[in-house]
Amino acid sequence: MSEQQDTKLEVMADEHDLLLDHAYDGIQELNHPLPNWWNMIFLVCCIQAVGYWVYYSFMGGPTLKDEFHRDHAKIVALQEDFKRQNSAFKQDYYDQMVANDGLKKGAEVYELNCLPCHADNGRGDIGPNLTDKNWLIAKGTPETLYQVVFNGSEENGMPAWSEMISQDEIYQAVIYVNSLKNTFAKGGKEPEGELVED
Amino acid sequence: MSSPHVNVPSSNRRLETFTYDDHIVKLFVIATIVWGAVAILLGVTIAFQLAEWRVNMGIPWTTFGRLRPLHTNAAIFAFCGNAIFAGIYYSHQRLLKARLFNDMLSKIHFWGWQGIIVLAAITLPMGFTTGKEYAELEWPIDILITLIWVIFAVNFFGTIIRRRERHIYVAIWFYIATIITVAVLHIVNSFEIPVTLTKSYSLYSGVQDALVQWWYGHNAVAFFLTTPFLGLMYYFIPKAANRPVYSYRLSIIHFWSLVFIYIWAGPHHLLYTTLPEWAQTLGMVFSVMLWMPSWGGMINGLLTLRGVWDKVRTEPGLRFMATALTFYGMSTFEGPLLSIKSVNSIAHFTDWIPGHVHAGTIGWNYMLIAGVLFYLVPKLWNAEIYSKKLANTQFWLATIGILFYIVSMWIAGISQSLMWRAMDDAGRLMYPNFIETVIKIVPMYWLRAIGGTFVLISFFIMIYNMIKTARSGKKGEEVVYEAYALDDTSLEPNAPTHRKLEGWPVIFSILSFLAIFVGSAIEIIPSVISDKYITKIDAIKPYTPLELYGRDVYVREGCYTCHSQTVRPLSHEVLRYGKPSHASEFVYDHPFQWGSKRTGPDLARVGKKYPHMWHYKHFWDPREVTAGSIMPRYTWLFDGKIDYKTLPKKLQVMQKLGVPYTDEEVQNSVANAKAQAQGIADELALSGVPAKIVEMDVVALISYMQRLGSDYATVPDDTPELATPAVDEETPVEAAVEEAQ
Repeated sequence: MSEQQDTKLEVMADEHDLLLDHAYDGIQELNHPLPNWWNMIFLVCCIQAVGYWVYYSFMGGPTLKDEFHRDHAKIVALQEDFKRQNSAFKQDYYDQMVANDGLKKGAEVYELNCLPCHADNGRGDIGPNLTDKNWLIAKGTPETLYQVVFNGSEENGMPAWSEMISQDEIYQAVIYVNSLKNTFAKGGKEPEGELVED
Repeated sequence: MSSPHVNVPSSNRRLETFTYDDHIVKLFVIATIVWGAVAILLGVTIAFQLAEWRVNMGIPWTTFGRLRPLHTNAAIFAFCGNAIFAGIYYSHQRLLKARLFNDMLSKIHFWGWQGIIVLAAITLPMGFTTGKEYAELEWPIDILITLIWVIFAVNFFGTIIRRRERHIYVAIWFYIATIITVAVLHIVNSFEIPVTLTKSYSLYSGVQDALVQWWYGHNAVAFFLTTPFLGLMYYFIPKAANRPVYSYRLSIIHFWSLVFIYIWAGPHHLLYTTLPEWAQTLGMVFSVMLWMPSWGGMINGLLTLRGVWDKVRTEPGLRFMATALTFYGMSTFEGPLLSIKSVNSIAHFTDWIPGHVHAGTIGWNYMLIAGVLFYLVPKLWNAEIYSKKLANTQFWLATIGILFYIVSMWIAGISQSLMWRAMDDAGRLMYPNFIETVIKIVPMYWLRAIGGTFVLISFFIMIYNMIKTARSGKKGEEVVYEAYALDDTSLEPNAPTHRKLEGWPVIFSILSFLAIFVGSAIEIIPSVISDKYITKIDAIKPYTPLELYGRDVYVREGCYTCHSQTVRPLSHEVLRYGKPSHASEFVYDHPFQWGSKRTGPDLARVGKKYPHMWHYKHFWDPREVTAGSIMPRYTWLFDGKIDYKTLPKKLQVMQKLGVPYTDEEVQNSVANAKAQAQGIADELALSGVPAKIVEMDVVALISYMQRLGSDYATVPDDTPELATPAVDEETPVEAAVEEAQ
């Protein structure tokens, strides 16, 4: 016996003209035309492909590197602008931060960011001791401390923290560090730099 | 389009009787169900590992980096593979009115394939891997796969030769494209030189290797998870619905456009990398062109259901298949979208990609397989479906599971990507610590794992339903079929060209091969033959023997499943990691290790960023240096000894691959490696690490970590002057420095 269809193939009334006369294991095929929207989208995608390819490969469209350089230049400009605008110490802002729990918050900022090099209580390790009277760059005033934290010091391995933490955090850290001077922490590192008397 | 048949007197026709080999189909059905459960169980396991690192269980064989390749291989080649073979062997015989070519070949095919799967299940957890995604199996298994695939092809084409139906139906076109292309992909991507029985190095390096790998990887999706399933769809949907296929013309157009265009799209996995831009652009534009050819299959399937949508509600098989087509439509729209460069810059390396993949593998492949099984099992075991109600429960669980998966991964992927690129008005990264962005999406990892669990439960329900169905089957007589041998009556001399082509399977196969060959050749050949393809830089030197060994540890542990090694030329990436990668950096990387997912940060610039002690603590327990890290512990690196004796052989193989090691370097490789290990151990000893660490794997891995990107760091590049990259992860440095005190 040859294989029987279980039931008769269901063909809609409007499809009889479209039914092809071949069958495979009982499977028949209609021959609907391709949907217009399908043709149109396919065509548009192909045109897009050619256009895109020609523009970026032969007509001097920007390369990924060009685009990167353009974007990155903007970021660099932003960073420079920011530095220009904020590199000066603002005493009134400092006072405002002091009044606003600055010391406590500063201790937290210190712990998160400064501790690896300056150790607990500022006794110094990779970085200098912050509890004595000697200073490498800063002169022990909030204003000079701010400059070092903000800009860093390449030769001493101090990062420019303005690139990593917020302005508020910088001020808070300065408040905390300012509170450390002349506390002469136990086990502190040997004094480095210039002696600065108050 | 019909044409008058040639009239031949019926007395000249030879009526033949024959049977079908359904036993082999049953075996493949059983294997599908067994491996499907294994694959999904593995998937759920690694999903929970990402949500909670302790699920890695602290042993090498169960850690994410080794189980993830096992999951992908099991899902693709074991679960989907067996389902494809079951569906093809069932439909192929009936569409051609011929028994499979050779019963012995069928058996070798079946048992050989199961043997390969078992070998994969043993070797991948042991860390024997080539480090190339979806092609992780080592060289002896690669050879076995090739042999078994050839046996499958002989059996398949042999059946075509013995056919009693002159013209081949659209399902068979798709099967032909599958068999030819998978063979080409597998062989070209698996060229490697063995070092030992369980270790080899890829013939290609760096950019070349990446290109070949993603040409393979993308087209494994195309020709293992798409074309064979479209073929099955073209057989099982019309059969189950008892409806004629919507459009023969659409079948022709979408088949050829799909096969021709798909093969070009691989480079969309490498957008913004150091692959030459023309190849990237081709990858993108062909992906966009692929949208409608993919949807051609969906509409041809869905519109075939015209007028019988009530059956979709009542027949589980049809319901699963119709849903599968819907998910197929969704993921083949999402695919081209993700290939657009600007979209890709957001989505690449994020969880959006696994979300996209699973819309395909669960939504399309699992659903279609379920549909096929609900058709096949009652037919093969001569039974009624045990419970349509259970099938209904299975359907809803699976659907809800997939939606959980897709939606959670959209949210995780997009939000993490936005965090990676977020900058404040001072040009600083808002989330300079990578771990912050991970912690935020861990809840999504839980949701995904729950979604996966739903899918797993749905699968177990199906297994139960299928077993009950099969058990209730009545033993029937083997059906003997009758058909005329192929003769001139079926010739259609006035038929249109394509109809004639359907009667010439050999020419059809050759044309299919040419269709996939064109794109492959244009994209790959330039990278293999041209010296100018990649500029070499003197500063880039081969790895030292110890670093090479460390790199093998990196590959063994599957680090590439979570870490990338390529910095894209995007501003936020340069701020986070350092300058963009350069093609010359990878010329000695056999295989490349760019990765495709950043569950952890990129490592291309990690060299010398942290002290040795940081890495030491990090591999022991990542949380010691990075609070909240989801990375597993790698404690076995601290008592697994470096295998020095294979080093000379490894360097020799590298020499053969063109890496400029001198013979002297090969001879001295062991002494050289030992000296370098001693240097690292000495530095670690300052922090109190016992001296015996010098013999352990972790030292080699640290040496590799410290080398990454450090050659290129000495090369000035043309990146605009910018501030030093943000220091990633403050706490780790703190911990390491503390340790060093």
